Amino acid sequence: MDDFEPTIIAFVCNWCTYTAADLAGTSRLTYPTNVRLIRVMCTGMVDPKYIIKAFLEGADAVLVSGCHPGDCHYINGNYKARRRMKLLKAILPRYGFSEQRLKLTWIGASDGIQFARTIREMVEEIKELGPNEARNAAVV
Amino acid sequence: MKPKIGRALVVGGGISGIRAALDLAETGYPVTLVDRAPHLGGVLSQLDNQFPTNHCGMCRMLPLVDRDAGAQYCLRKGLFHENIDIRTSTQVVGIEGEAGNFTVRLKRQPGFVDPVACIGCGRCADACSVSVADDFNAGLSMRKAIYLPVPHMLPNTYVIDPAACTRCGECINVCPTGAIRLYREGRQDFSVLVVDDEYTVRDSIKEWLEEEGFSVETVGSGEEALDLIKQQSFRMMLLDIKMPGIDGVEVLKKAKDLFPDMTVVMMTAYATVETAVEAMKTGAMDYLMKPFDPEDLAGKVIGVYEAEEAARAEEIEAGAVVFCGGSEGYDPSTGKNTFGYKVFSDVVTGLEFERLISGTGPGGGGALLRPSNGEPVKKIAWIQCVGSRDLQTDSDYCSGVCCMYAIKEAMLAKEHGPEDLESTIFYMDMRTVGKAFQRFRDAAETDQGVRFVRGRVHTVYQDTHTGKLVVSYPGEKSRRIEEDYDMVVLSTGQKPSSGTDKLAEAAGIELNPWGFVRGEPFLPAKTSREGIFCGGSFSGPKDIAESVISACSASLLASATMHSAGKGIAVAGDDTPEYIDVSHQAPKVRVILCECGGSLPEGIDLRRLAAGLEADPFVESVSFVSRICTEEGWESLAEKVKTKGYNRLLVGACTPYAYTRRIRELGGEVMLDPSLMDVCDIRSPEFAYGEETGGDAIEKAMRRSLSTGISRLRSVDPLPKQTVPVTRSALVVGGGIAGMTAALAIAEHGYDVHLVEASEHPGGNLGWLHSTVEGNDTAILLEDTTQRIEKHPLVHVHTNTTVVSAFGEVGNFFTTIETADSGPQTIQHGVVLIATGGREAETRSYGYGTSDAIVTQKELEEKVAAKAIDYSAIESVCMIQCVDSREEPRNYCSRVCCPSTLKHILQMKQQNPDISVYILYRDMMSPGFAESWYTEARKAGAVFIPYTTYAKPVVSQGEEGGSKVVISTREPLLDADVQIHADLLVLATGIVPNLPEELAGAFGAECDEDGFFREAESKWRPVDSLKEGVFGCGIALGPGSIEGSVATAGAAAQRALRILSKNAISPAAVTARVRHSLCVTCERCIAVCPYGARSIDPDTNRVLVNAVMCQGCGNCASECPNSASVLDGFFDGRMLDMIDMVME
Repeated sequence: MDDFEPTIIAFVCNWCTYTAADLAGTSRLTYPTNVRLIRVMCTGMVDPKYIIKAFLEGADAVLVSGCHPGDCHYINGNYKARRRMKLLKAILPRYGFSEQRLKLTWIGASDGIQFARTIREMVEEIKELGPNEARNAAVV
Repeated sequence: MKPKIGRALVVGGGISGIRAALDLAETGYPVTLVDRAPHLGGVLSQLDNQFPTNHCGMCRMLPLVDRDAGAQYCLRKGLFHENIDIRTSTQVVGIEGEAGNFTVRLKRQPGFVDPVACIGCGRCADACSVSVADDFNAGLSMRKAIYLPVPHMLPNTYVIDPAACTRCGECINVCPTGAIRLYREGRQDFSVLVVDDEYTVRDSIKEWLEEEGFSVETVGSGEEALDLIKQQSFRMMLLDIKMPGIDGVEVLKKAKDLFPDMTVVMMTAYATVETAVEAMKTGAMDYLMKPFDPEDLAGKVIGVYEAEEAARAEEIEAGAVVFCGGSEGYDPSTGKNTFGYKVFSDVVTGLEFERLISGTGPGGGGALLRPSNGEPVKKIAWIQCVGSRDLQTDSDYCSGVCCMYAIKEAMLAKEHGPEDLESTIFYMDMRTVGKAFQRFRDAAETDQGVRFVRGRVHTVYQDTHTGKLVVSYPGEKSRRIEEDYDMVVLSTGQKPSSGTDKLAEAAGIELNPWGFVRGEPFLPAKTSREGIFCGGSFSGPKDIAESVISACSASLLASATMHSAGKGIAVAGDDTPEYIDVSHQAPKVRVILCECGGSLPEGIDLRRLAAGLEADPFVESVSFVSRICTEEGWESLAEKVKTKGYNRLLVGACTPYAYTRRIRELGGEVMLDPSLMDVCDIRSPEFAYGEETGGDAIEKAMRRSLSTGISRLRSVDPLPKQTVPVTRSALVVGGGIAGMTAALAIAEHGYDVHLVEASEHPGGNLGWLHSTVEGNDTAILLEDTTQRIEKHPLVHVHTNTTVVSAFGEVGNFFTTIETADSGPQTIQHGVVLIATGGREAETRSYGYGTSDAIVTQKELEEKVAAKAIDYSAIESVCMIQCVDSREEPRNYCSRVCCPSTLKHILQMKQQNPDISVYILYRDMMSPGFAESWYTEARKAGAVFIPYTTYAKPVVSQGEEGGSKVVISTREPLLDADVQIHADLLVLATGIVPNLPEELAGAFGAECDEDGFFREAESKWRPVDSLKEGVFGCGIALGPGSIEGSVATAGAAAQRALRILSKNAISPAAVTARVRHSLCVTCERCIAVCPYGARSIDPDTNRVLVNAVMCQGCGNCASECPNSASVLDGFFDGRMLDMIDMVME
């Protein structure tokens, strides 16, 4: 299992976390190649079905990251995301997915370092946890 | 005929400059935005966190209407708008002409790095051997001579600090794109004549200078030199003084007669220094002492050359100019009391503190550590009023921002430091003068445990044993108290920006006694020169919201100037290009990849990558361009898109943001909607993963990035959008000074305005106010404004009239108003401004109503005006501040009462200096220059006694039959109870708003918990409501002075003009729509929309989306249980497809 490289899908909001990811890039902060960014306008538009789809496609973890509370470009989209993620986390285990595989963070535009750190930590955590359960089980 | 449109110049690219530029650009004017720094953003580029969210949110300033005209990304990254021409490293050196027709001379600092060619790879900085303090981190970290001015900014191109650069040229050697020039090519045209009788000297100089790229001629005598300069032109002459025949000084005189512009540097041996000095009086620029070092000589010549290059000014035409030069932080090390700043490294300024905890700060991690030893900070103190409210530092004004930023920082310290961190703020008055400020302070104290101590710290020293800082301050009964801290933050105030005086001179505008730009009475945005306006803290200390408001009002005045000079925005024709309709075509994506001049890491095969992409049936073709970032590269790309056969374009390059403007232009050329074109970042994977990751992984990441881009473009829905027509007239509710000012401003731009006033006459509170503390006459303002209102043909005043009901949305509101004698009528209008004002609060506290000697401020004002006060009969006056205010339920500061109190004190003292005046206050609120009146009042002998809400003053009747009232309170410095027997007790009761909730609700706006108009965002959108097209101004928005009301009125009018200047508003590319066949009208999307853009059409029972109000967040789409609500460009199919793509 040592050479297990998890795949992480990150839904990042256009305003804060995407900017932070970009800053991490331009600041030459290296972070693991495991993360695949999908830019969305707001974390509030991340439909739980996208996350379920990502898990079913074999993603080992999903990160949803947006603006800090009170900071959302669209006033309150991140609060809506928070509510949805909380509910989703509650039901994921019933389908055999560890709720640890879903993470919600707030990373502001100037937090390039925090973005790189979050990805690194997440990769470590998921390496411990092992591959997505769906990879070994038939999903019907 | 092409409409005549004036260009506006905005000077300064801080928050106010950005606001002013965006305002004018959104109204349709072309704008030139200049900043002397190499980047935009001003001080806010260094501040990550703003009160009240303690985060950012600056992006909310971006255009909401016609969003696609600007780039939609983090505003701290940079600004883009198609009407704004941004010029950094540029200064204004002169303004000629008059309002409407200025000719402005701009001077650009020499740029050594070509911003177009620089890809921001950073190899130059690695190669640079110079290390200097980094201004961006307030000097707390080091940077190279070639550096990124702001790490998160776009374009992220490197710049060279000319003062630090040694011109060693190492960076040029490592630059992969040849972007660094150090002006070498230009040097060929800079010809130097070397005159020296010694062959070896002139020959070696020639060699040295030619090595630096200059063209050099040499001659051996004065005669030859004079002959040669007549035949050939030289920019510079190096001239030996002692020569046989005509000596150097003689040559200099003759040469200067012939060519006064030529720069002459004398060369001299020690013996003739005096002659050399003499020669400088004749016109030599400098002298060099022989023998000299090649580097010194070359440095001097390069210096002259660069200065000449820089001095080449460019001229632009501008109809109006808005100065937003900002202010700068006070440097405590220059003061008499430095509080140990620059002596102890744990003493920092507020700005340095913000950098220390920033993610892009010197520590990098954002943890709060002591600069001296890197240990966590456990106890921290803020010292207020450093460089403010201090006669010793020549700042008899309040900087207005430090109290709030100290509170914010104290809260942030808790986030970034250990949980049990103790923070203390030492203050004189906590000036919580804004709407939500007092509650913020209370929360800091009660919820976060921030300790507030009233007292002026006099010394900060270090305990040599513990290394801790000792803060020494006077406590009760003036006993000295000493406390240990790990870190001390000095809340430094705002000073005029360096160079304000020079700029003011160049622009011909006047400064005030403190060195800020002087504004006109009641109109601080107007400078002493017609057509030149001023926004933000250039005219005095301001916080973000005030800066934004003043910038808005300055841009309004600029717009009015251009309009009256005949350069207004013409009724805009439909100038949007007719894009090819591709809605019924299968997607065909043309992909063009940048080869980055061959500098891609090893192991990446672009051809292999291309072959893979071409296998996708939706890809039309893949081709290559050597370097898209260069002019030639872009032209070659433009050539490649001319041939038909595709209907989507994907460009693979670096920094996608940088191409926004070009993509839009390209779209116009090839008639392809820019939303069908995209730039995809294929360089970041290399940077993010590090080169050691290997070409394979990077190539894979590049392919993923491109596939995602293709998938995104494939699913862009090119359906045409409906525009929203605009009724080009405004409704202003409330005829006070704010309402009248706003109505006039809109009418002066040529639009009808209905001004609705409930009472018999317009005028509002100006009806009873007579003067201000500054001594300005309000009667003149009132008379002037009402006359202009009455005379203006486009202002329709409806007095004795109220709003009955309203419906509609931005562009088209229908409001029914009812006039007392003529009944109801319905008005159609595009926007609405709410200016219903406020009134003095009533009170039952402090014995009000029990004695004629107890009056409110308004009653005193009326008595003074009616000359009903016999000053000679008064011995003693007491004034109580904050009556029923700044505590629940009216927990806000009314702003106007303290300046009014100061006015009343000075009036009384002027009439009868023997009157004893006692002011019982909690915090004296005299922000900005009003502070000087506080100083005056104290000089006049008024006695200020603080009280707290725990121990309020008690008022009782005096002796039986006497007219005096007795006020008892605690004097904290004496630590004793005092009694004041006063002939007059004045109560400062503050302001309450006049805004009925139903009125705000009729237009879709809201009231806040105190009944004021709820703004969309207190800092970035201070006069808008969340509902587009509804604005608030004046006291309806929050308590404020007349100047404040005029400024918010201007700002609201400007925000309204942005909409009225268009016949119709076209929606942005990314907006939501409803698939009615799937919609069950559960209305959850309506509830979830933060902008109120959704409604139910009562006739069809369908959910409607106002495409102009919709900002494209997609919250409705994820809320919809049926996937009936979709966001263009992000519908489910596409999102699921993208997930597939990235998982490949």
